[in-house]
Amino acid sequence: MENQTKAVSFNPKTPTVLHIDLNSCFATIEQQANPKLRGKPIAVAAYDSPRGCILAPSKEAKLLGIKVGMRVSEGKILCRNLIILTPDPWKYRTIHMRLKELLLHYSNVVIPKSIDEFIVDIEGYPAEHMGAVEVAKEIKERIRKEIGEWLTVSIGIAPNRYLAKIGAGLHKPDGLDVIDAESFSAIYKSLELTDLCGIKVGNASRLQNGGIHSVWDMYSAPIWQMKAAFHSIVGYYWWMRLHGWEIDDVESSRKTYGNSYALPDTRVTPQALAPILMKLVEKTGARLRKAGYVARGVHLAIVYRDHSFWHKGKSIEEDIFDSRDIYKHAYALLEQSPERKPVANIAISCFHLSTAKGVQQGLFEDREKKGRVVEAIDAINERWGAFVITPAMMMGMGDKIIDRISFGGIKELEESILHS
Amino acid sequence: MVYSVERKGKYREDTFLHSGMIQKIHTPVSVTLFYNHRVRQVTPTNIVWNGREYDIIRIGLHHTYRIGRTLFHIFSVETDALFFKLVYDTDSLHWILEEIADGEPN
Repeated sequence: MENQTKAVSFNPKTPTVLHIDLNSCFATIEQQANPKLRGKPIAVAAYDSPRGCILAPSKEAKLLGIKVGMRVSEGKILCRNLIILTPDPWKYRTIHMRLKELLLHYSNVVIPKSIDEFIVDIEGYPAEHMGAVEVAKEIKERIRKEIGEWLTVSIGIAPNRYLAKIGAGLHKPDGLDVIDAESFSAIYKSLELTDLCGIKVGNASRLQNGGIHSVWDMYSAPIWQMKAAFHSIVGYYWWMRLHGWEIDDVESSRKTYGNSYALPDTRVTPQALAPILMKLVEKTGARLRKAGYVARGVHLAIVYRDHSFWHKGKSIEEDIFDSRDIYKHAYALLEQSPERKPVANIAISCFHLSTAKGVQQGLFEDREKKGRVVEAIDAINERWGAFVITPAMMMGMGDKIIDRISFGGIKELEESILHS
Repeated sequence: MVYSVERKGKYREDTFLHSGMIQKIHTPVSVTLFYNHRVRQVTPTNIVWNGREYDIIRIGLHHTYRIGRTLFHIFSVETDALFFKLVYDTDSLHWILEEIADGEPN
């Protein structure tokens, strides 16, 4: 009787949500581009110097123990023959867009979650009649034929987005797993708490303190026990997720625009960091304006080489959009940083965003004129390439702060490709 | 086959090389391109670079990007011994050899 109750409480709906995860994304795409790298341990790293951070090891490198976040030097210790490449963002963007185009053949609900992850919901579309598993098999085959024969994806299928993601992570590379009312119990019993996305050490200890020691315990726990373990409504959300009900289909709006830079050289003082800050601000400002936003806040974050961290944000009373204004506030924050020690990483972001709706005049400056100047500079940079016109402070910066792809949000990705 | 690099960055045939190189080059290159109107497909078929001809046996990836409004087509191609990254500038109609590699550890 108890088992029947459990079975009913898991969402009995036929699973229609597919989570598609391109395996070892950057490394696999590099192997697709250069067939001579296939079958070899390679890694894409932020820099190819010994201290460069490994962003994506190939599946061959993963088998040798090379992991994301390792230094290049550490990777070379594990594998002397490790081939190191630096990122080539436009390759990855191109594959992302081709994959999205392919997935749109099956549903209009195609949601990119990152550069290498998509959610597709086929409910209500003709593809639903094929069945999610057949759709997944066809997607895998078409990726090999139409995008690249070396590319593989792991696909998870479930009644909700969260479990589809868990399913995509069960077998890599090239996996295909279904989590539904039939299969969930066997899968839950094989997982540790920390195998779940969003459950790391902190949440795991909260759950253990609440008497929940495994994924199966978590599933079996009543809502009140989950809420008690998390001390909040979050426990109810977890209950819903694990029972196959959808609560993650809310698209968050953009809250910040920012850029960061990992310094390969040693810089300590605000003066030495100023050109880097200026270039970060130029990039952030250009993206902010292109998307049609203004900001009322600037935030600066610094990670030092000794791994300590400092950050500070500042709210501003008027809308800002000009990179020179953003810089003025960012530099003021930089000067307030209490420590003078080597910086490893610096990040700038703008927050309190709102849509630009005409420029409100200031008392002491002609903001309309400033808006026109900024617009003209952006137009020239767009026509001839970014940073054709730059502040004098950026002279000598060359290609520092190179084009990168973030692992998380890709809100601008489609936009940037569509406009290109 | 592997190629060596002279100090001034110019590649010279027959001198070669350290194995295991990925070399950024950025130099003009001759490319033969074949267009098949039936399948509407463009395929670079061979390269002449530094007085030597290389037949392309496989295209790994074709992608594009823009710098300003200029569109560039990038062909990542494989020959018997080497990998070439070829860039086609659609403004000047010129080809640039951007990178070569032999697929060995660097």
